[in-house]
Amino acid sequence: MITKNFAYHAPADLHGVVTALSAASGTAVVLGGGTMLVPDMTHGKTVADVVVDLSRAGLSGITLDGGGGPHDGPVADDGVSDGRVADGRVADGRVADGRVADGGVVVVGATTTYAHVLSDPRSRTLAPLLRRVAGGVTGGPQIRNKGTIGGSACYANPSSEVPAALVALGARLRLASAGGTREVAAGDFFTGAFATARRPGEVLAAIALPAPTGPCPGYTKLKLNESSWPIATAACVPGPDGALRVALGAVAATPLLVTLDPPEAGVADPAWRAHVREVVDAALAEPWSDVLADGDYRRRVAPVVAVRAVADALQQAEGES
Amino acid sequence: MNRIRLVVNGREREIEVEACKLLVHAVREDVGLTGTHVGCLTGDCGACTVLVDGASVKSCSVLAVQADGAEITTIEGVAGDDELHPVQRAFWDEFGFQCGYCLPGMLLTARELLDRMPDPDDDAIVQAINGNLCRCTGYGSILRSIRCAATRMAASGEPAEEAS
Ligand SMILES: Cc1cc2nc3c(=O)[nH]c(=O)nc-3n(C[C@H](O)[C@H](O)[C@H](O)COP(=O)(O)OP(=O)(O)OC[C@H]3O[C@@H](n4cnc5c(N)ncnc54)[C@H](O)[C@@H]3O)c2cc1C
Ligand code: FES
Ligand code: FES
Repeated sequence: MITKNFAYHAPADLHGVVTALSAASGTAVVLGGGTMLVPDMTHGKTVADVVVDLSRAGLSGITLDGGGGPHDGPVADDGVSDGRVADGRVADGRVADGRVADGGVVVVGATTTYAHVLSDPRSRTLAPLLRRVAGGVTGGPQIRNKGTIGGSACYANPSSEVPAALVALGARLRLASAGGTREVAAGDFFTGAFATARRPGEVLAAIALPAPTGPCPGYTKLKLNESSWPIATAACVPGPDGALRVALGAVAATPLLVTLDPPEAGVADPAWRAHVREVVDAALAEPWSDVLADGDYRRRVAPVVAVRAVADALQQAEGES
Repeated sequence: MNRIRLVVNGREREIEVEACKLLVHAVREDVGLTGTHVGCLTGDCGACTVLVDGASVKSCSVLAVQADGAEITTIEGVAGDDELHPVQRAFWDEFGFQCGYCLPGMLLTARELLDRMPDPDDDAIVQAINGNLCRCTGYGSILRSIRCAATRMAASGEPAEEAS
């Protein structure tokens, strides 16, 4: 039972959302899928005067913005591309050889649920890493049906998967308020445990990802048991220069981005593994500690998940070549 | 107070709720169907599972006002008064529950899985029920029950949806 009542608004578009937020008196909160916010209100961890529900605002869907420029309008609810598909691409965002051309931007609406990512075939080519993340989120189909990518980003729980995935991909978060919109790089968005650069009165409208140009990124996570939240995650996105961009999640308060040399002699090579340990250990100033695992444990497993993500990325690349 | 309209198990209902009322409490107290259980109220246990417009949700994590205009299916809606749905029958025959606290959520989740995937392997079953906690059975008999329901439903040629 939520003990304190509040005013409830479910605006029909993004404009209505930012207007409701700016007009709110008292504490206003944004309701995404509610999987975290509603229980937090039940348990008195969040107390609100106004709740602005995004579920009718048409902010869900995965689209390809061919031009690569900023996309300010609300994202089409049906997820269908808004017509700006650049030359040579088929409607689902692929070029003829099955890869998306350089320079495009994939726009993921903030209220896109994990279930939407999994059921939308375009996510295979446009957001393969988010697709893998979505498939592994626990809590059952009930949570995957309601939980949103944007909600996970805004909640910024260190032990969750979306934040590090967004950092690995070099995502940009599009924040809207009555004063206008701005974009924040994922690397700057996550400022601490349960803390982000989002200001009061701002809503996350969409997440812009560079359209994938290479094979599916590598992904791995370590968890206690089937229904557990992750203790450590790693996503590996190989760069065009061969360097490996690896974002570690759940090991520190905010996602940890490291760049690793490619394993010339294979991922089992002890010298390369020593390099991974050294780079990860140096980057991990203060490991995250919670009920799932303490900081010492996370420090020990961080390089292990990094190695697994690289191995996985190399395997994905082989599978596609 | 907010007046909302729901279609619960096929019957239209109009109720008045405060904005802060959880869907699970509205279903139990205002609609009067107490088969949906309240467990953790954190979104972990799945005892409060209902279908909203065909998709399973944990009704402790949804505000009743959010469901305005929606179709809700609760455990009371999976079979007629004097019958058991094949999934219920399989849980009965395979000892898929003991105290029964988790059961309404477990059955709705199992049925949703079989509607979507009539012949799930064990990995798919585990993935589907990883948001439904059972403190009695240790899950072995639940996996058996779901496999049994799938086999029987395939043999009778009835898709899950029509069997209800
Ligand atoms: C049982 C269970 C198991 C889970 N397992 C996993 C797991 O294995 N891995 C994992 O990574 N996560 C896991 N999660 C967490 C899940 O990913 C998040 O609950 C979900 O993604 C949050 O999204 P939401 O839309 O429900 O957020 P909400 O609950 O709606 O909101 C969360 C917070 O973000 C704010 N917010 C939401 N959307 C916006 C927006 N667009 N703009 C501004 N602010 C916003 C809200 O005000 C609130 O503060 C689990 C959760 C549960 C309940
Ligand atoms: S009561 Fe809703 S998940 Fe436990
Ligand atoms: S039968 Fe008792 S909790 Fe599952």
